[in-house]
Amino acid sequence: MTKTARFAALLLLASSALHAEEKLVVYNWAQYIPESAVTDFEKETGIDVEYSTYENNEVMYAKVKLQQGKGYDVIVPSAYLVSKMRQEGLLQKIDKTKLTNLKNLSADLLDKPYDPGNDYSIPYLWGSTGIGVNAKEIDPSTITSWADLWDEKWQGKLLLTDDVREVFHMALKKNGFSTNTTNPDEIKIAYEDLQKLMPNVLVFNADAPREPFMAGDVDLGMIWSGEVTMAQQENPDIKYIFPKEGAGFWVDSFTIPTGASNVANAHKFIDYMLRPEVGQKVVEELGYSTPNTAAQALLSETLRNNPVIFPPADVMSKAEFQNDVGDATKIYDGYWEKLKTGK
Amino acid sequence: MKVLNFRRVAIVLTLVWLGLFVLVPHVLVVLTSVMSPDPQHLAVWPVTLASWERLFEPVYAEVFWRSLWLSTLTTAICLVLGYPFAYIVAKLPGVWRGVLLFLMIVPFWTNSLIRTYAIKLILGNKGLVNAALLGAGLVDEPLQLLYTPFAVVFGLVYVLLPFMVLPLVSSFDKLDGTLLEAARDLGAAFWARFRLIIVPLTMPGIIAGSLMVFLPAMGMFYVADLLGGAKNLLLGNIIKNQFLVVRDWPFGAAFSVALIVIMAGLLWLYFLANQRINRQGGLDDEGL
Repeated sequence: MTKTARFAALLLLASSALHAEEKLVVYNWAQYIPESAVTDFEKETGIDVEYSTYENNEVMYAKVKLQQGKGYDVIVPSAYLVSKMRQEGLLQKIDKTKLTNLKNLSADLLDKPYDPGNDYSIPYLWGSTGIGVNAKEIDPSTITSWADLWDEKWQGKLLLTDDVREVFHMALKKNGFSTNTTNPDEIKIAYEDLQKLMPNVLVFNADAPREPFMAGDVDLGMIWSGEVTMAQQENPDIKYIFPKEGAGFWVDSFTIPTGASNVANAHKFIDYMLRPEVGQKVVEELGYSTPNTAAQALLSETLRNNPVIFPPADVMSKAEFQNDVGDATKIYDGYWEKLKTGK
Repeated sequence: MKVLNFRRVAIVLTLVWLGLFVLVPHVLVVLTSVMSPDPQHLAVWPVTLASWERLFEPVYAEVFWRSLWLSTLTTAICLVLGYPFAYIVAKLPGVWRGVLLFLMIVPFWTNSLIRTYAIKLILGNKGLVNAALLGAGLVDEPLQLLYTPFAVVFGLVYVLLPFMVLPLVSSFDKLDGTLLEAARDLGAAFWARFRLIIVPLTMPGIIAGSLMVFLPAMGMFYVADLLGGAKNLLLGNIIKNQFLVVRDWPFGAAFSVALIVIMAGLLWLYFLANQRINRQGGLDDEGL
C-alpha cells in the first residue's frame, strides 16, 4: 500500500507540475540527499522541488517505464539502468553547456561503457556494498569474505539488501565469476549457491540496512558503505569489511527522463548538486564517495582518509563496477523471485 | 419530477463512477492476465494462458498455502479475541459502548504503515517485549520475534481486528435476549445456550468478520515486507514483485484475478450461509 499510495501521490504531484512554472520533480533513492541541499536550492532559485524516493532500481524503473519517462524531471539510476534506460529511449540527452560545474568531476568515473561520453548521465555518488558487522557481538577479524556468510552458525541471522544484482554479486564473486555475467550457467551456479545461503537469511532490507544493525536486530550482513559511515556516527561498533572476493561497486547518476516537463530546472538542479560545497555536504552527511574532486578537496583529513568512503588501493584494484546485463536480467529476476519465496 | 431527476442523476453518476473506476480497471487486469509478458512494453498480444498455467508451479503453490495458512491463523486469532470483546461491547450501556468502540478505532486514525513500523520497535531484539522478558528473567537471550511469520501474524491481527469486531457487535445487537432467557428457563446450561443459540444467531457476524479479515490478510504485502523480512510470504508480495520488480505484468495480473476469484467464491459461500441462517429459526423454518 505504501508504494501505491506514494505512486498515486506522485501522479498527483506530476499532474500539478505540468501547470506550475517553476517546479522540479526529483525521484531519488531513499535517504540519498542532504535535506538542506534541497531546501537551499529552493531558496536560491525559487524553484519548488517535489521530492520523492524509491528503495531499489527496479521499482523506479517500473514506474518510469510505465509512464514512458513522464512525471519526473531528475532520476538517479545506477549505471546498469542508465545503460538500459538510455537504450530504451527513456532518458534524454543532457545539455552539458548548461552544467558549469561539470569540470569538478573526476575523469576516473566519466565516459564509461554504460554511457560513453556521458551524454545521458552525470555521476552523483559511488560506493560499495560490503559486509557489516556489529563488533560488540561478533569479532570483525573472523569475517573476511562473502563465503563466511554461508557458515551454518549464522542460521536466521543475516541481513541481505533487497537488491537482486547485489545479492547475486556475492554468490557470483564467491564462485569466481564476474558480477556482470550473462552466462546462464554461471548465474545458475550462483543461484544454487544462494539457495544454500537462504536458511541464514533473516531479512531483506530495502530502505536503510543500517537500521536493523543499530536496533540490534542483526549483527551481520550486507550493507552499503555510506550506511556504515552514517551508522558509525551513532554506534562506532558497526564495522565495515571489504570481502576478499571483492565488494560490490556501483555508481548512481543524475539523469533526465524523456518526458520531463521541467528540463531547464533539471539542469539547474544537477549543476547545483555538482558545486564543490554541495558535494562536500553530501559526503559529510551520507558517507558515500563523491566523483567530485573539487568537493573531495574540501573534505576534512579524517573523511578523506576514511577507508569506508575512499577504499584503499588494493580494494580498488579488484573493484568491478556493476553494468547492464541485458536480456540476462530476466534470468536473474526469475531466480530472485524463487529465492525470496525460499526456494 | 425534480425528485425523479435527482434520482436519475444520482444513479447515472454512481454507475459511471463504478464503471470507470471499478469495472474498467478490473477488465484491464483480466485482459492483461491473458496477454504475453514483454520486458519492453509490459504486456503484448497474442493471447495466451501461459501466466495462468504458471500459477500452478510448485513454488507458487507453496506461497499460496503459506498465505492461506497465515490468513486463516490471523482470522482465527481475530475471532477468538474479537468475539468476547464484541459481546461485552454490545452488552454495555450506550456511553461505554461508544467509548470502547471509539478507543478501538482511534489508533486507526494513524497510518497503518507507521503503526507497522512501531510494531518493529516493539518486537525487535531490543524492543519492549524482549526487554520485558529479559528483565523478568524469563529468557537468557532475546527471542527472535521480528522478521518471523509470528511477527507477520501479529501485525495482521493488530491491523485487522476492528474489521472482525464491528460486524460481530452488530450481530450481538440483533441477538434477542428473550431467547436466552427462555433457554435458561427451560434448563439449558451456559454451554448449551452458547452453542445452540448465541453462535448460530451471531453466525452472520462471524462469517462477515472472518471474510473481512481473511481476504485483506492475503494481500497485505507491506506487513509481510516490514515484519516478515521482505520474503515472499503472502500472495500480495508475489503480486507486488511481479508488477514492480520482475515486471511480468500478465503473471501479476493472473495472480490478482485468482485472488479475486477466491474472494468471490468466499462471498458466495457467505451469501449461501446467510440465506440458510435466515431460514433457520425463522417462521419459514420447516424444521420447527
